[in-house]
Amino acid sequence: MSEPLLSVRDLKTQFFTEDGTVRAVDGISFDVNEGEIVGLVGESGAGKSVATSSILRLVDSPGEIVGGEIEFKGETIFGLEESDDGELRPRDEMLTEEEMRKRIRGREIAIIFQDPMESLNPVFTVGGQLREFIEINRDLDAAEAKEEAIDMLREVGIPAPKERYDEYPHQFSGGMRQRVLIAMALACQPDLIIADEPTTALDVTVEGEILEMVKDLQEKYDTSFIWVTHDMSVVAEICDRVNVMYLGEIIEQAEVDDLFYDTKHPYTSALLDSMPRPDETVDELRPIKGVMPEAIDPPAGCRFHSRCPEAREVCREVHPEPRDLSEDGEALHTAACVKHDAFDVGYDASPPIDTEATGGFSAGFTETGGEAE
Amino acid sequence: MSLLRYTLRRFAQAIPVLIGIVTITFFLANQIPGDPVEIMLGPTPAQEQVEAIRAQYGLDRPIHVRYFTYLSGVATGDLGLSIYYDRPVLEMIMLRLPVTLLLMLSAFAFAIVTAIPLGVISAKRRNEPADHISRIVSLIGVSTPSFWIGLVLIIVFAFYLGWFPARGLVLPWADPADVRGAATRIEVLRQTAHHLFLPMIGLGTLQMAQITRIERSSMVDSLQGEYVKLARAYGVPESTIVRKHAFQVAQLPVITIIGLGLSTALGGAVLTETVFEIQGMGRLIITAINNQDYQLIMGTTLVFGFVYVIGVIVTDITYSYLDPRVTYGDE
Repeated sequence: MSEPLLSVRDLKTQFFTEDGTVRAVDGISFDVNEGEIVGLVGESGAGKSVATSSILRLVDSPGEIVGGEIEFKGETIFGLEESDDGELRPRDEMLTEEEMRKRIRGREIAIIFQDPMESLNPVFTVGGQLREFIEINRDLDAAEAKEEAIDMLREVGIPAPKERYDEYPHQFSGGMRQRVLIAMALACQPDLIIADEPTTALDVTVEGEILEMVKDLQEKYDTSFIWVTHDMSVVAEICDRVNVMYLGEIIEQAEVDDLFYDTKHPYTSALLDSMPRPDETVDELRPIKGVMPEAIDPPAGCRFHSRCPEAREVCREVHPEPRDLSEDGEALHTAACVKHDAFDVGYDASPPIDTEATGGFSAGFTETGGEAE
Repeated sequence: MSLLRYTLRRFAQAIPVLIGIVTITFFLANQIPGDPVEIMLGPTPAQEQVEAIRAQYGLDRPIHVRYFTYLSGVATGDLGLSIYYDRPVLEMIMLRLPVTLLLMLSAFAFAIVTAIPLGVISAKRRNEPADHISRIVSLIGVSTPSFWIGLVLIIVFAFYLGWFPARGLVLPWADPADVRGAATRIEVLRQTAHHLFLPMIGLGTLQMAQITRIERSSMVDSLQGEYVKLARAYGVPESTIVRKHAFQVAQLPVITIIGLGLSTALGGAVLTETVFEIQGMGRLIITAINNQDYQLIMGTTLVFGFVYVIGVIVTDITYSYLDPRVTYGDE
């Protein structure tokens, strides 16, 4: 297989707060190939958005990328090396802040944010904002950029784009604004678009329309996407491959069909089970019990063991790294769960953790701190 | 155009407010115990003399008649006769108002020119030394009375250092022949600037401090906006983000504060003019009150009210011009 477009290796991003260090992204690795839509799935607080802002090196203070490597089209977005005195320092080939701004952000990697209501500047016209970003990232003059902006608005299904070009964001509906943001991303002609929960704030019918449109445009422009979401049905709709995140780690990685039909990690199963389905009533919903523990002091062992229905004593102690569990001839399918034979840490012999006793809402708290030590 | 219509409508809406100001001022002024005629004629005036003067100024008529006379006078631009100066009130105001406006405008120019960069830098370098300094300066600024600042400025810069004159003002439109040491218009203007410097800072410091505080907090909010994140993610240079993307959104509350500041500055001008012995509206209103010069009290108060109303209208218009979400209300 050819070189991936984007390659993230052991990325670690931490927030240095007064309460301690929050390990928001704690050693994740994944690739994005050309023309692919890669999902990044997980509950709120799993570290998805921090991971995507790390790729653009736009982590807000007090957050900082502390380790790992990000390569994009052969360029080093982030990479550290050990200097002679043993300190870590950025590698020479790592892009400077100026290079990131001029060559990567917008031009090569564009982003669509979650909240279309807040993402556009209220005091500038929609067209003016589009034109500005196109001018910066496509080296066009103002007139060409305007033409391109109007074409792109038409492309994403904004009716009467010439007239709407001069309107302000508050004159657009939420769905229309999200189309504008998609137009913005596509118009800069990047190789990769990061879509950070772009349909979460929209109602379901609009979400459906937007997903359809993105699929069509993705085929037309052959842009790669990282699609961040917490919604498994969106994943099924749009993604080619999926990375499932839990508490700063990627715990399962597979092609979308394998993930749905040959689920390897109990957390992924739980996510799939928690999806509302038309043939079930509210009482039959199976939410994942407990809440996700704090990333400031993650549980020892497997981070999911406090909420896992299949957890055994060994899960408290062994922290599994993701391993390839695919059989010969199958596509790569990694998971980080010791219940699989590949890990061989004595899962079958280990007694189950009494999840009933520690289950429910309190599970996340009792298992995070003192008891595990 | 709708902006013009909006402006006209706002001025039309101000008319009832102005009538209200006239009414309240009129009845309040007439409730002040004592009598201007007594002040004019001393403690033991002859009865005929008192009546003659009362008749001359129309003070012998019933109060409601005087009210409607006054109201119709105001409508036609006649503010009556000042008892103390024995000249039309309007004439006195036209003489003094430009002086106060000059002082206020220069104070606001000083405040805006210093406060906006200070606030922006403070927000951009949040919690860094530059921010701490600017916050301390603005805290001192909002908590120090303007007359005290004026006195300190006089003591330091006029008395000890002798850099600036302590009192009086050379009007920029004064005839060079009447101004000592000035042969040309340029020299008159130079003297004006020289005289204006200390009062300008004395009056402008409070405004500067208030605007800095609002500018800072507003820019801090704006710099954290999603649209700023988006601009960063699309490679917009940080300087453009601060100057354009974050700045314009952040100016809306700043404009409100500047508009409201106009009225505080009028109050401050009274004190500043007293401290620096400048013959402006402030001195005029104090003279009017000290001498119970009804017509002059009403006239000056009316002008203050009028300036305030104009300030609010200008604020609203600027607001609707800058923020496309504010409509002109006719759609």
